[in-house]
Amino acid sequence: MDSFQHRRWIIILTMLFVTLVFGVRLLYVQVLNNDWKNRAEQITHHKVTIHPARGLLYDRNGELLVAVNQVYDILVTPKDVKGIDTVEFCSLFKISKTEFLQKIENASTGYNVSYKASTFIESMSKEEYSRVVPYLKSFNGFDSKRRTNRGYPNGVAAHVLGYVRKISAEQYSKDQKEGEKYYNQNDYVGVTGLEKVYEKELRGERGSAFFLRDYAGNDKTNLEQNYAISGKNLYTSIDLKLQSYGERLMKNKLGSIVAIEPSTGEILSLISAPSFDPNKLSGREFSENYKELLNNDTLKPIINRPIYNANYRPGSIFKLVQALIAMQEGVIKQSTGFACNKSLINCHNHEHPSNVQIAIKHSCNPYFYHVYKRLIQRGDQSSIFKDSRLGIEKWNAAVKTFGLGVKLNTDIPGVKVGRIPDANYYDNEFPSKSNPYGKHRWAFSTIYSNSIGEGEIGVSPLQMANLAAIIANRGYYYTPHLVKKIGKDGSKRPEYLKKNYAMAAAEYFEPVINAMEMVVENGTARNAQIDSIIVCGKTGTVQNETFNDHSVFIAFAPKENPQIAIAVYVEYGTWGGIWAAKIASLMIEKYLAKELSENAKNKEKQVLDAIILDKHSDFK
Amino acid sequence: MENRAKNIIGKLDVPLLVLFLALVIAGLLTVYSASYSEESPQIYSLDKAYGKQLVWIIISLLIGVLILTLEGAFIRDSAYVVYGVVTIMLLIVLFMPAIKGAHSWFKIGGFTIQPSEFAKFATSLAIAHFLSTTGVKIQETKTKLIVFFLIAVPGFFILQQPDPGTLLVFFSFIFVMYREGLSGNILLGMFFALIIGVMAIFFKASDANVNIFGWIFEANYLYLVVIVMASVLIHFGITYLVMPRYRGRKYLTNIVGGSLALLLVFSCNYAYDNVFKDRHRDRFEVMFGLKLDRKGVGYNSYQALSAIGSGGPAGKGYFKGTLSNDKYKHVPEQSTDFIFCSWAEEWGFLGSFLLIILYTAFLIRIIMVAERQKSKFTRIFGYCAASILFFHYMINIAMVIGLAPVIGIPLPFFSKGGSAILGFSIMIFILLRMDSERKDVLR
Repeated sequence: MDSFQHRRWIIILTMLFVTLVFGVRLLYVQVLNNDWKNRAEQITHHKVTIHPARGLLYDRNGELLVAVNQVYDILVTPKDVKGIDTVEFCSLFKISKTEFLQKIENASTGYNVSYKASTFIESMSKEEYSRVVPYLKSFNGFDSKRRTNRGYPNGVAAHVLGYVRKISAEQYSKDQKEGEKYYNQNDYVGVTGLEKVYEKELRGERGSAFFLRDYAGNDKTNLEQNYAISGKNLYTSIDLKLQSYGERLMKNKLGSIVAIEPSTGEILSLISAPSFDPNKLSGREFSENYKELLNNDTLKPIINRPIYNANYRPGSIFKLVQALIAMQEGVIKQSTGFACNKSLINCHNHEHPSNVQIAIKHSCNPYFYHVYKRLIQRGDQSSIFKDSRLGIEKWNAAVKTFGLGVKLNTDIPGVKVGRIPDANYYDNEFPSKSNPYGKHRWAFSTIYSNSIGEGEIGVSPLQMANLAAIIANRGYYYTPHLVKKIGKDGSKRPEYLKKNYAMAAAEYFEPVINAMEMVVENGTARNAQIDSIIVCGKTGTVQNETFNDHSVFIAFAPKENPQIAIAVYVEYGTWGGIWAAKIASLMIEKYLAKELSENAKNKEKQVLDAIILDKHSDFK
Repeated sequence: MENRAKNIIGKLDVPLLVLFLALVIAGLLTVYSASYSEESPQIYSLDKAYGKQLVWIIISLLIGVLILTLEGAFIRDSAYVVYGVVTIMLLIVLFMPAIKGAHSWFKIGGFTIQPSEFAKFATSLAIAHFLSTTGVKIQETKTKLIVFFLIAVPGFFILQQPDPGTLLVFFSFIFVMYREGLSGNILLGMFFALIIGVMAIFFKASDANVNIFGWIFEANYLYLVVIVMASVLIHFGITYLVMPRYRGRKYLTNIVGGSLALLLVFSCNYAYDNVFKDRHRDRFEVMFGLKLDRKGVGYNSYQALSAIGSGGPAGKGYFKGTLSNDKYKHVPEQSTDFIFCSWAEEWGFLGSFLLIILYTAFLIRIIMVAERQKSKFTRIFGYCAASILFFHYMINIAMVIGLAPVIGIPLPFFSKGGSAILGFSIMIFILLRMDSERKDVLR
């Protein structure tokens, strides 16, 4: 009755065929092929990095040196930037149109992509931010993020603290290739100072969390959570009051102050003048400020002079070391006297140097000429050339036990070795590498300038302060260091608990210390007297061929049971007794007595008023 | 009365009813999971999609029971009235305020009614009534024109809404016509036209070049040459080898067929360049796998396939989806057109395969029920129902699993939408009612 009945099979077969195709496709998508599963995971899974808070830095009395500031980053999502009034925007944010376009371009190239937010303006202060925030909503595609930044409530010790910056491309790729692969491209790292040395302790450990996110990117379900571990706080040895005071005293001067607590080796203050406000290197004006500090300032404030300038000759101060070595080696006794023969080396008029103490008090040059000659040419060999080689090697080894000519392992980057010459140096490098004297072609007569701390000796202010500490301790030192405690319940690095002995026995220090007391009492450093405290010191004048001499002074106080050892360098400050001694005594008095005496206040005023060099000084 | 009710229930086709209820329940549970919100967790929360869906299902079942009480003859006689009423509704709805840019809905309280869903069974009733009228022969051109007219009137109004997806479903009546005696060549011709057209667009979209001995051809022009050569070969094969008797007639058919194919390819090329917009072109490119676009037009498809793929062999479990639900919303329209993603993500390949088997069984059962009718009206109506549901199923799933471009068309019984579930339920209940009378009535 119905001739088309069979057509039902065609229709049913069509349906079965369609279902078969669907089945195969579903089998492929859901079972055989994993691509879509991975893509789904990319869509839904979101890893959030939890950044630990960076450790803070305190001074030795618990005052905050490095704190946190709230800053605001302006973010842009280039894809969403539509229909905004560029002129209005640029005037609000105080940027030019080209800058605007450049920043948008930067936000969509490189590892930034146009559909993700990236930084448009970095580190706006709270004040700036509150000015722009009411209008921010009206610009599509712009957003803001709160972030913490380093802040320096006192604005001191820039060289000690160092600064923190976004990791550089080179450091990042180095960390990826040969390092621990810790950093992300947006991480901040310590670049100099304690921030760099203690980077690992300060940064803490990153945490992470996995979320399932929704279509708009909101994290909805927490799958996994690894908490971040905050960075450890550093309790430094710096005395904030002393540090600030020293920086004030060094205004309009060029030079260094290093103060050490002799009984521990803890550095109380480390001052490089001129200094700068560390806040300048935290925040959005970093680049301009850094350029200014590096290039546009003839006094080069970026240099950390007390550790980096290791080519200062120690001058007369070195006589202390010569005396100690000579007594220990037995080439002189405490009572040995030499005539002040000005034909050997010039000197000034003073009483006859009948023993070591008087010789040091008057800083007698010919006396130490003799002392050094006895150390270098001991008569072990008949040839003075061979004899000098032997002598200088012994002398060099002895001097190095005083922390001179060796690298002090202080916890700050850039510590320099300085130079205590040895036989090899005169053989191959002096007077120049291309035309040296050569082996057995030099003798004491060639190098006698070393006897009074001139010649080829180079030391840093840090090493000089350490020398003061060695004398204060009567023969030993702890490596000077800046951090007392890593973390609240932590300790200092173990190497700073080890005593290093100078080669001279304690008994030989007494005449030297007595002489240093006399130097302050009625010698070259009367400027350093303090009414209530016995100060032991020694001046030095480092001759300078191109400009005024450098003024140098080292001291410790009180004489018995010393609390502070100090070295002060005032570059181009002429004679040692004038500025360096005054500054050192003010520092000592401030530290030990807290309140300055009337006498000292006058001294303070002189120092503060003195302009030895300022930013605009023209010198070579 | 009670007796009669028992009588009707006893005569209902159990497999069809069970399959229908299985799909409805699975659909409701999927809508519940896909649009679940913690603020109103109960499935009967009326302010949520699942609460409304539940209400619509209850309404649909009540109306279904009502339909079961009607006389088959009454349904048949009301066919044109129903068709007329729905067509008028389609006209009026064009003057309703637009929702999402289309004038497709009447808004009554918190519920919306979409008359184009009713047009599906109404047009089926009208076609079934017309074709079953004594003396109407499908081979006559007049018959074809009238059927075309019956489809075209509601189709025209639907296009004005505009709702091209629903209009596409009206093409499914070609299966009904075929079953009732329309020349198979027309169906075959349409099938070939589809293949040739899709390939033409594929070659055009792929922008491929073919290098033959140093000569560079654009692939789509080479394709033209292949078609010409193929038709010439077929012509020679048939005329000289297979059946020399039909020489003259096949010669003509072949020339006409070949020319039409070439014309089609040219029109596709022309349309691709001049009629289609970039967004259409992008859709084709994404569909053909020529580009993996996860942000622009390919977004829906990319997200949908990710959700389906993430289900894996056994699924993540009911309510454990992480892409296609209201909480995460990674799949757009996850409770309407893309609801299959929810199901596939939660139940995996086992579940999705079971679902397509269930659908196919349901469709085949409808055809079996239709085929056992003595009444031509019921048989044609059954085929209408099967064809419409098949089209929905085919286009929706193909779109979701990335085998067809994205066309807005719901998955029957699953996709959220009251009018759709009511329309489809009415269709099934009419069939159930007519089927229960098959032994009583001879027509």
